[in-house]
Amino acid sequence: MDIKSVLMIIISMVFINNFILSKFLGLCPFLGVSRNIKPALSMGMAVIFVITLSSIVTWLIFRFVLLPLNITYLRTIVFILVIATFVQFVEMVILKKSLSLYRALGIYLPLITTNCAVLGVTVLNINSFFTQNQPVAGSFFYSVIQGFFAGVGFTLALLIMSGIRERLMLNDTPSLFKDLPIAFMVASLLSLGFMGFAGFRF
Amino acid sequence: MEDKFLVSFWPHIYDKDSISRIMWTVFLCLILSGIAGVYFFGLHALLLIFVAIITALTTEGLIQYFRKKRITILDGSAALTGLLVVYNLPPQVPFWIPIVGSFFAIAFVKQAFGGLGRNIFNPALSARVFLLLAWPKYMTTFVAPAGSVDALTSATPLTLFKESNIGLSQMGLSYWDLFLGRRPGCIGEVAIIWLLLGAAILLFLRIITWHIPFSYILVLAGLSWMFDKNGLFKGDILFCLMSGGVILGVFFMATDYVTSPLTKRGKIIFGAGCGLLTFIIRRFSGYPEGVSFSILIMNAFVPLIDRYLKPRIYGKK
Amino acid sequence: MEKNKSLWQEFSKGLFRENPIFFIVLGLCPTLAITTSLENALGMGIAVIFVLVFSNVVISSIRNIVPDKIRIPCFIVVIASFVTIVELLMYGYFPQIAKKLGIFLPLIVVNCIIMGRAEGFAKNHKIIPSVFDGLGMGLGFSLAILLIAGIREFLGTGKLFGKIICESFSPCAIFILPPGALFTLGVLIALFRRIKKGRADGY
Repeated sequence: MDIKSVLMIIISMVFINNFILSKFLGLCPFLGVSRNIKPALSMGMAVIFVITLSSIVTWLIFRFVLLPLNITYLRTIVFILVIATFVQFVEMVILKKSLSLYRALGIYLPLITTNCAVLGVTVLNINSFFTQNQPVAGSFFYSVIQGFFAGVGFTLALLIMSGIRERLMLNDTPSLFKDLPIAFMVASLLSLGFMGFAGFRF
Repeated sequence: MEDKFLVSFWPHIYDKDSISRIMWTVFLCLILSGIAGVYFFGLHALLLIFVAIITALTTEGLIQYFRKKRITILDGSAALTGLLVVYNLPPQVPFWIPIVGSFFAIAFVKQAFGGLGRNIFNPALSARVFLLLAWPKYMTTFVAPAGSVDALTSATPLTLFKESNIGLSQMGLSYWDLFLGRRPGCIGEVAIIWLLLGAAILLFLRIITWHIPFSYILVLAGLSWMFDKNGLFKGDILFCLMSGGVILGVFFMATDYVTSPLTKRGKIIFGAGCGLLTFIIRRFSGYPEGVSFSILIMNAFVPLIDRYLKPRIYGKK
Repeated sequence: MEKNKSLWQEFSKGLFRENPIFFIVLGLCPTLAITTSLENALGMGIAVIFVLVFSNVVISSIRNIVPDKIRIPCFIVVIASFVTIVELLMYGYFPQIAKKLGIFLPLIVVNCIIMGRAEGFAKNHKIIPSVFDGLGMGLGFSLAILLIAGIREFLGTGKLFGKIICESFSPCAIFILPPGALFTLGVLIALFRRIKKGRADGY
C-alpha cells in the first residue's frame, strides 16, 4: 500500500480515465443535470457519497459473502440492490433536510441508481483489486479510494460542464446544435483536452 | 440587423468596428514568424499557410451564408484562426491536413457555438489536438531546418529531452539557435525572436495584457526549474521556454479574448493553471508538449472563473 | 385490424420517431464505449434486445401484483436476473465478444433504456404490447449503435467488421477515441433532429 499507487489511482480516476470523459459512465445524469451549476454540484456530492459507501459495502459483500459461497455470478444483482438501497436512503435524507434541493435534483436523484458510474466503479474495483478470486494487498483501501475519486472525477466533469452550459444558454447557438448536440461538442472538446494526460507515469 | 440586439454575457462591452482592427493587427504581428518558418522549412509550408487560411475563410463564409447571417469573413478572425492552425502544424504534413484542421476549427469549434465571441474553446488549438489524435504519424514527423548542421536529427528538442534526456549541446543546438528558430518544430512556433517582437507590439498596443503571459511563464518556468527530472533546481529555464510552443501559445492563444477570463484576477489564475498543466503534461504524461492541452482544459474552466470572480459592484460590501 | 395497427406502431416508434439514442437520448454509456467496432455493437445490440424484451414481459405480467412503493427494486431484480443470464450465455458461447464488451455487459442493468421502458411502458400495458415495445426500442437502439459503430470503425480504422474497405484512405484515429465518440454522437443527434424536423414540415 504505497503512496505512488494511491496517487496513480487518484490521477487515473480524476484525469486519465475520467468516468465521464473517458469511460463514458454516468452520461445520462451528466447531460441531464449539467445545465446549471448548483444542481450539478449537489448531484456530484450525492454521487460521491453513494459511490464511496457502495464501494465499501460491495467490497465487503464480495469478499465475505459471494466469494466464500462461490456465487460470484450473482455479483451484478447484489451490487445493484445495494446501490438502490443507498440511493433510497440518500433520497429520504435529502427530502428531510432540504426540500428545495430535493426538488432541484428532481428525477435525477433516483437516477443515481442507474448511474453507470456507480455500478461501474464497484465492478471495476473487483476487477482491479482481486486476482483469481483473491484480494490483492490493500485491496479494500484501494477500492474505497478508487470509488471516492471516481466520484470526484465525475463531479469535476459535471462542474466544468455546468459552468460552460450556463454560459452557452446566452449564446446564439444554431438551432441545429442547440442544447444537446452542443453539449456533446463541449464534452468532446473537453475530452480532447483531457487526452493530454494519456500515458501518465510517475 | 438582428446582430445589433445582443443578449450576451457580461460585461456588455461590444465594439464591432475595433474587432477587425484587432484581428488584423494580431495577424500582422504573426506574419514574420510564418516567414521564418517558410525560410527554415521550405515552400511547402507556404502552401500549407495559404490552404489553411483559404479553407478557414471559405468555411466561415459558407456557414454564415447558410445560416442567413451577415458574412463577416473579412473581419480577420477566420483568417487568424486559419493562420494559427497552420502555425501549429509540422512543416511537411500533406496539404489536406490544414484543410481538415481549419474546417474543424471554424465549423465545429467556432460556428457551432454561435460564431465570433461565442466559442468556449480556442479553435486553433482544438484543431491541433484533434489532428494530433487523428493522424499522430503525420503530426509528429518533423524536419531539420535549412542551413543546419548535418548531425541534427529531425526530432524536436522537447521530444529528445523527454525521451533521451540529452542536453542542448548534444542535440547540436545552442540557445541562439532556439531563439532564431533554427530547430525542428511547427511552422509558426520556432522563431522565438519574431514571436516576441509581435508580442511586444501587441502588449504596447494594449491588445493583450501582461497578466496571462506573466503568470503562465512564471508558473511554468518555476516548476520546470524546481522539479526537473535530473534533480531539484536543475531545470533549464531558457530551454523550457524556447523549445516548444510556449511563446506562441502564451502570447497569441492563451490570451485570446473570447476564451480567457475577463477579470485581471481571473487572467492570473488562468495563466497559472495553464502553466501548471503544461508542466505536468510535459513532465509526466506521454506527450512531449503540453501547451495545447493545458490551454484547452483551462478554456473549459473560464466560465466558472468568470462566474465566481465577478468584480465587486461599486457600493456593495 | 385496429389492434394490429397499434401493435405495429408500438414497434416502429422505437425505430425512428422515438429512437432511444437519437431522440430520447438514453442508454448513452454503452453507446459511446461499445461502438468502436461493428462486431461489438452487434453483440451489445443482441444482448440488449434480449434483456429488454424478456424483462418487459415479466414486468408486464407482474405489474398488478407488485406494490407500488417497492416496484423499482423489484424491476431492478428482474432486469438484473436477465442480464446475469445473458452474461453467462455470452461468456459460454461467445467468450471473445463477451470479453470485448467487458464491464458493459453487467452494466446493461443500468442501461436507462431498459428501466425507462419498464417504468414508462411495461408497468402500464399488457404483455403483448410490451413485447412489441421492447422489440422496437431494442431494435432502434441496436440500429443506432450499429450506425455509430459503422461510422467510427470506418473513419477510425478504415475497416468494417474488421475487413479493410479502402486502401488509400488514411484513417482518422480520433474516431475510435473518446472525443471522437462524443463528437460523432453530437453530430448525429443534430442531423437526426434536422431529418425529423424536415419530415414534420412535410418534405
